[in-house]
Parts: sequence; structure tokens; C-alpha cells
Amino acid sequence: MLLIVLPNLQEEVVALYSCSRKKYREYHRFFSPLLKQLKRRQIIAPPPINHRNTYLEWNYEAELYSFGKRLGEEFDNELLRQALMQRSYLKKLEEEQKRVGIEVSSNENVDNVCMIPKGEEILQNFTLLYLRHILPRFPEEGIQSIKDHLMSEETLSHVCFHIGASELILCEDFPVEKSTLNSTMKALIFALHESSGLERTSVFIRDFILTQIAELDINDLWNIENPIETLNTICRNEDVDLPEPRIVGDSGVNTILALYRVGLYINKKLIGLGSGESIKIAHEMAASDALRRLFGTAEHQLNIPFNLVLNPKIKSEPNLGVKDWCEKRVQERIKQTLSLNE
Amino acid sequence: MSAWARTKQWNTFTRIWHLFDATWQNPIDCAETIGLYLKGMYKPIYHPMSDCGDHVVVINTKKIAFPGQDWRWRAYYHHTGYAKGASYTRAWELHDKDPTLIFKKAVYSKLGNNLQRRYTMQRLHLFADEKVPEDIMKNITNQIRPIKIVPRTLDTYSQEEIKSFPKIFDYPKDYIIR
Amino acid sequence: MSNKCLLIPSGFPRLPLKNGIGRVVCQLKRITIKFCKSSGSSQGVRNFIELDLLDFTNNNPEVVIYLKPRRHHSPVVISEYLNGERHYMNFHNFTRDNTNKWLNFLRTRVGIKTIRFRKLQHTELPSIQGVWSPFTNKSPELNITSFPNEKFLQPKHLPESATERLRKMFERQKLKESEEMKMNNKSIEVQQ
Repeated sequence: MLLIVLPNLQEEVVALYSCSRKKYREYHRFFSPLLKQLKRRQIIAPPPINHRNTYLEWNYEAELYSFGKRLGEEFDNELLRQALMQRSYLKKLEEEQKRVGIEVSSNENVDNVCMIPKGEEILQNFTLLYLRHILPRFPEEGIQSIKDHLMSEETLSHVCFHIGASELILCEDFPVEKSTLNSTMKALIFALHESSGLERTSVFIRDFILTQIAELDINDLWNIENPIETLNTICRNEDVDLPEPRIVGDSGVNTILALYRVGLYINKKLIGLGSGESIKIAHEMAASDALRRLFGTAEHQLNIPFNLVLNPKIKSEPNLGVKDWCEKRVQERIKQTLSLNE
Repeated sequence: MSAWARTKQWNTFTRIWHLFDATWQNPIDCAETIGLYLKGMYKPIYHPMSDCGDHVVVINTKKIAFPGQDWRWRAYYHHTGYAKGASYTRAWELHDKDPTLIFKKAVYSKLGNNLQRRYTMQRLHLFADEKVPEDIMKNITNQIRPIKIVPRTLDTYSQEEIKSFPKIFDYPKDYIIR
Repeated sequence: MSNKCLLIPSGFPRLPLKNGIGRVVCQLKRITIKFCKSSGSSQGVRNFIELDLLDFTNNNPEVVIYLKPRRHHSPVVISEYLNGERHYMNFHNFTRDNTNKWLNFLRTRVGIKTIRFRKLQHTELPSIQGVWSPFTNKSPELNITSFPNEKFLQPKHLPESATERLRKMFERQKLKESEEMKMNNKSIEVQQ
């Protein structure tokens, strides 16, 4: 009987042979060798993974209903089905129908191909709007990098999977590929927009996609190639002396594990502090630190709210680029945006 | 790991090089404090498995001061491993032979009997006088204060200081000091 | 007994998809209840299905419930979570009350496998004031001092010695004397 035990029943086996009449925290003697044997067989012949819809207990309509309820959103049933139908699946269906002899009714609005670019546009617009609102001091290059990260295939496919859409998608590939999840996410956003309106969609985007930057260091998403030059550019824009680097501390200078601490000073005031394995690295890190403090994204400054309700119909103007960045213009821009919102 | 996170970690886990002047100090008492620095126990990030100990450079180990009759009575035991190989060496004899050994043994015994002890001892650098190689001297970033007050001998006071020092009493002028 | 001898793996608590930062999403996707229509071990589950199941479904529309009557088998509940994990649980001889409670438990959990938690909390941003380094709370003058330095000659924070106390008394005495001298001079001037 044990020979026929399939690896995906491992949990049941675990449940069978744990605790029972024995004391707390003990297992049967043969349990460990059993697990080893199962694992060995799993490596030799990996179990065949089937799509969830091949199981007997599958009700697509019920699943679609729960999908909407789970997210707290009301989807129009037909639009939702359309959003989850990939072109590859549709083609497969049509081929099979042809083979059997059923007439293929050409219906344009069955798959999600048209929905994807529209969904992408909605997503992009709102993401940029929100990011520009919460990070008014962050340069446009940085905003674009964060947006690229949020709209990347990885992020969107991750979100799509963890909403529970991967089993509902009708597509040819199995296991579902990241590109499919990516495009389906965008289609879902458009479906939601058509069902519930732009406001609800923007709240949805905020809650599921924008929160992906919650515990990240957003400065890592934007790779500044030459922080020293960037800082110098900003200083020139502000008509201020260029920052003066000074070694603020060091340790173990003649060892492999040397540490240097470099501070950048403008008019004897500290603007950035960095540490590194060599003076050059420490200098770059100090410039990086100074930039972070300027843009308001240092560790102690950054506090991104995810509960703001913004008007999604406003078209947001891009933030200042690094070349034009200076305190005056940033303050002007903040005032402008405040007046616009009012 | 980004460059920022990497340098942040590098900054937190650096090994600091401390200097300690052993003049007029009791090596047994110093060994406790120096042991703490060698293990890294003064750091809030301390963990026995995280190798966060610092380097300590001790100078003037020749000028250590034992209390009372310790120089005469304190003996250091050594066994060669062969029969009749036990030997007991007085502190003053050991100090003559190698002025750094007493300090080294004191720190060694205070570190605690574990597998990390030998590795930690490698971070202790002892010098009998003030002549430290320049490479090591450049590494040093901090100085540990002495545990015992370093007394000032009379010859280090200038005549002015002696005159201006408050006198509680003085001998009568015709008194002859024997 | 150490934790290594347990055959349960260990890990840290993690939430999928930043649940809670945006909105809270019930992590349970679907439940499959396999039970027997006649055997006694499934009685509790049968009672639950008869009396409490509709309430459960009405209160939790986000969970899809499949019922599979299977003869001569113990009742079993398989719950599937949004992160892809399947949790298997045997409901043999459970009462109706028991099944209620356990189903509520399955509904409110996240789909992490049963593991021993090494830490009961997790954060990606553990420091707000900044991580400690050996240079925090150290005077920046250390950077420019050359070693060995006179400032580090004596131990710090010592109680006042007798010599120091005498010295201070002497200084105070001197000050008093000089003030008295001044007063005397003034009185002489006034007299004159």
C-alpha cells in the first residue's frame, strides 16, 4: 500500500504518523525513513502537476464570483471572463471546434488582447500620479525607475498570482508563465475600470500594486551612476559652493578590512555622510547620502502613505529632472500641485 | 545587496583598533577590560558567533605594576609534556625573560575557556615599550583609558607647582630631618 | 530537547503580497470537505454542513466550498491558499463545534506551511534612528587625535580624591582672602 503512496499525499501521511498515541513531540520510528524514501522517488519521477480545473471539485462560475468578493470589488461577469481569456486559449478552442466540425463564430470581444494596452495606460497614469504626489522632491528619473519596477513583469505577475487569478486564467501554457500573468493583470485592471469606474480602479491599484514598494528602499530602484556629479549639478543650480569632502573617521587603514568615513560639507555644514572600504567608495556613498536627504528619501525621512485617495482624472506633471533640480523650483512645484488639487 | 546596504553593514561591523598604555597598571585588572574590547562585548551588536571583536594594541607592558608582593610570590606554571617537565617561574623572572608574557597570560585567562579564545588572542598586539611599527600605529582609532590612576612622581612636578601647592603644615625652621 | 530533533522545518513569519498595508484579503481560496454520509466519524462534519455551512458561506463569500461525499473514509478538509499552499486536515470524530472552530482557524490563517517560528515578529525596516556603528556617540575629535594622547592618560569618572578636595579648599580660601583684602582696601579709602 505504501508503494502506491503519491508524493502529493505527503501531508496526509504526515498527519497519519504524527502524535497519535505517542507522547507530545514524537513521531513513529519508521517515519523518517519513509519521508526519505518518498523524497527519493519524487526526485526520480517528479509528480505530474495538473491544472486545478482538471480536478473534480471545480466550479468556474463560483471561483469567478469568489474572486471578485475576495478583492472587495464588483466585476462585470462578462468583462471578467474576457479579461481572463488569453488569445492562445481562444485559438486552441477554435482549432478544436474546427476539427470537430462546429462553426467558428468570429467574435472580436472574447479575449483580452484589446484590454491589455488600455489597462496598462490606466495603471501607468495612476502610478505616476500617486508617486509624484507622495514624492514631490524625488527627481523624474527616479519616479520613472520606481514606475518601471512596479510595472515590470515580475511585480505584476507576482501580484496576479497572489490575488488568485493564476488558476482562473484560460491560457495554453501550464504552469502559467509570467508574461501571461503580467498581461492578465493589466486586462483585469481595465475590466475593473469598465465595471466599477476609474476611482475604484485607482484605489485597487493603490492597494495591490503600489504597496509593493512598501518595505523597499526606493533609492535602490534608481541607480544613480555618478552621485558626486549629480550632487555637483544640483549645487550649481542652487548657486552654492560645491561640497567639500573630508575624512571624518577611519579604522584599520592598513588592513584588508579598512573603513573610511567621508563627510561632505558646504560652508562647514554637514550635508552627507558615507562609509566605505576605500576613500573613493566612501565619497560616493556620502554624495549618495546627501542626495537622499535632499530628495527626502533617507531612512529617517521616508514614510510613504498608502491610504491617500487621489483624484485619478488629474493629469500629473512630471517632477523636476536632475538637471533642473533645485530647492526653489521644487517648492514652487509643490505649491502648484497643492493649488491644482484644491 | 545594493552598495548602500553593503557599506552600511561594513560600517556597523568594522573592527576598531584600540590603544592601551599599560604603564603603572595591574595586568590582571586590565585584562578584564581589554578582554571585553577583544570580544566586542561593549558593542550593542555583540553576538558570540558574529566575530565582532576589535584589535587592541598594548604598549609599555614592561612597566606594569603588580600589587604587594606579587612580583616575588606570583608563580607561573608550565609543563613541557615530558616527565619531570613541570616548572614554576616567578613573575619577576618571567618578566625579565619576556616582558609581554605576563600581560598575555592575564588576558588569555580572562577570555574564557572556549574555542574562540585562540582566535581572539591573535587580535591582541603587545609591545614592551612605546616602539610600535608604523603600520599598526596608523590603524589605531581609539585609546582605552587606564583602569588604575597613573601616579605622578615628584620629579615630574616643576618648582613653581611645588611652591604653589597648598601646604597643610611645615616643619619648624630649626627642625633637623633625619 | 533541542529544536533540531523535531522533524518540522523552521522559518520566519512572512506575509504574502503586503496583505494589510493596502487592504486585507482573506487568504483562503477554497475548501474541499470530504466526508462520509453514514459513518460515525463524519457525524460532526455532517451536522456542520446541515446547520452551519450556509452561515459560513454567507459570511465568507470569498471562499469557495466544495463538498465531496465519499464512502468509508474519514472526513477530511483540504484548504487552498492564495500563495499556492494546500493544507490537509483530518476531521475524524470531530464534533460540530470543533469543525466550526477549526474551519474558522483555516479561514483566518495565511498559507504558510506548519513550521516552527524562529522569531515571532518580522520587519524589513528595523531601524529608524539609524543602525549603530562604532562611531555613533563618539566625539568626532577622535578623528584628529594622534595616539597615544595625553587626554587618555587618566581614568574618567573617578570620585574626588582627598588631594583634589584639599586643593579646592585652598583655592576657595585664596579667593576669600583676596576678597577680604579688597574690602579692607575699600574701607581704608573711604576712611581717607
